[in-house]
Amino acid sequence: MQHIAFIRRRHANHPWGAALSLLWLAALGGSALAFADAPPASGAWDYLRPQFYADREIGIGDAAFLNLEVPASTPDPAATPLTVRFGDRTIGQLKQLRVIIDNNPSPVVSTFEFAAGVRVAEIDLRVRIDRLTSVRAIAETTDGRLEMRSGWVDASGGCSAAPAAAAGGTIGDIRFRNTPDGKALQVGIRHPNNSGFQIDPLSGNPIPPHYVTHIRFSADGRTLVDVDAGISLSENPTIRIASDTALPEPVTVEVIDSKDAHFSASWRGPTTGGETISDAASPTASR
Amino acid sequence: MIVYRLGWTMALLTIALALPASAASAASAASAASAASESAAQPFALQEVAPGVFVHFGRMLPLDAPGHDDIANIGFIVGEQCVAVIDTGGSMRIGRALRAAIKTRTRRPVCTVINTHVHVDHVLGNAAFSPDHPSFVGHARLPAAIARNRLYFVSQYAGDLDQPASAQQIIAPDRLVQTTLELDLGGRRLSLRAWPTAHTDCDLTVFDEKTGTLWTGDLLFRERLPAVDGDVSGWLAVLDDLARIKVQRAVPGHGSLALDLAAALMPERAYLQALLEGVHEAIDQGQSMQEALDHTAEAQRPQWQLWDSTHARNVARVYQQLEWQ
Repeated sequence: MQHIAFIRRRHANHPWGAALSLLWLAALGGSALAFADAPPASGAWDYLRPQFYADREIGIGDAAFLNLEVPASTPDPAATPLTVRFGDRTIGQLKQLRVIIDNNPSPVVSTFEFAAGVRVAEIDLRVRIDRLTSVRAIAETTDGRLEMRSGWVDASGGCSAAPAAAAGGTIGDIRFRNTPDGKALQVGIRHPNNSGFQIDPLSGNPIPPHYVTHIRFSADGRTLVDVDAGISLSENPTIRIASDTALPEPVTVEVIDSKDAHFSASWRGPTTGGETISDAASPTASR
Repeated sequence: MIVYRLGWTMALLTIALALPASAASAASAASAASAASESAAQPFALQEVAPGVFVHFGRMLPLDAPGHDDIANIGFIVGEQCVAVIDTGGSMRIGRALRAAIKTRTRRPVCTVINTHVHVDHVLGNAAFSPDHPSFVGHARLPAAIARNRLYFVSQYAGDLDQPASAQQIIAPDRLVQTTLELDLGGRRLSLRAWPTAHTDCDLTVFDEKTGTLWTGDLLFRERLPAVDGDVSGWLAVLDDLARIKVQRAVPGHGSLALDLAAALMPERAYLQALLEGVHEAIDQGQSMQEALDHTAEAQRPQWQLWDSTHARNVARVYQQLEWQ
């Protein structure tokens, strides 16, 4: 149903949209099926809002709720930094955060579900941005209140950018870096996160989509944050979570990708120094 | 036979006429207009920095501004037998302007076209020299770098190539430099040296023994902020080697002629060092890429032109390289 609406939207708003998407599907060849129900090239918010939030009120003015920081012009379209900061009103009462890039071929970047009482003060991501777009962060607290912030980012070609030279390494390697006070933890996952819109620069052939779909943070057997992810995260997906208090330790990170490979690693706390290379990475293609 | 040929000509004409005229003519009119206004505003200047060594100094413009095809220092060296071109500019237009300028200075043929590295502002004019049938010379890794970038160049810089833009216009070297290569232009020897990964992975320098002139390519930026597309640590190491070479003058890839090479390298060294240390520190402190962007090497800003369009990209690139080392 949703997908039919998107196709109609293409026809209605952008006479070239349907033709271009057909070209894309043709170019993608075998991987086309994965994108047959991809959202539209523009105007995604008009369709996503009723789907996710129905007619609920969404506030936009409360600085104590959340703030979004994005660069007006990106330093790297394929890895644009994005920071969401939560205010006093929100910390400890977060239920969900959703990040949307309106003009990306896959607009919903990530949805974060927070366990009750988890004190997250900040989340940093690195995202692919395909062209000039508004970027939105929508937060929901446990009492059902919604707030949204948005910003414009000028970029070009982040979803189709060729794999970077800095890519490589062993897929599924997980690297942790913490701040000296132990309140923030950056998790980097070695993964091409191929969007399906990339072309192999040497052969000219499309690179099939292959991306991280799910990331879970847990401590002591209890889930802290559950993240649904997709092709709009950068190569080597990186998420930094900061709290207003010291993070629990160890924190375990579990990752699943679109080929159903599972990876996991644990961070054993700031006492081990500024950096911990995953010692428990366990790439297993299950099922 | 004549009739047959005529028939083909007519057929081609018909095809040409049948092309979507509006799009084609609008594009060519626009490019002709911009070329005309560019050349009217900015005649192709040449400076003879040493006997037989001619440089066209590029403009201080960002890569997305009008005139972006004319930002690199390019030029040629005249021997007793023939001419070596060093970099060809960022468009066919600039390549042709350089070729025309050579003919005003010498009747000797162009035998060699040298590319100092893969970037558009140095290589897109290569095909303008095809009628001279020169040998194209570059770093041993330049062919692979061009192969990686060909599709990108043709799509992103189509307006800087002849229409229709095609991959064939991006000419790769046919003579490769593994470590060093001597070229004889007749009574004039050039020594070429291929460097480890620094500004890019295919940096090449050219030394004219007769006048002691070193063409550094983009291993040396002056005034304009250096752009990192290779490896900062590698680049700093290469600067150590460059500073030890005895030269009379150096032609940088961007910026003004240097008479004291070791001194001219110092601002670039200071920036690259601050960039490397700043990003290292940010990563060690668990800072996000955004925090690194906010703080890294800020003290260097007053020293450089085009900071805003280049520095953030440098930080983002170096951060993503170092975080996995």
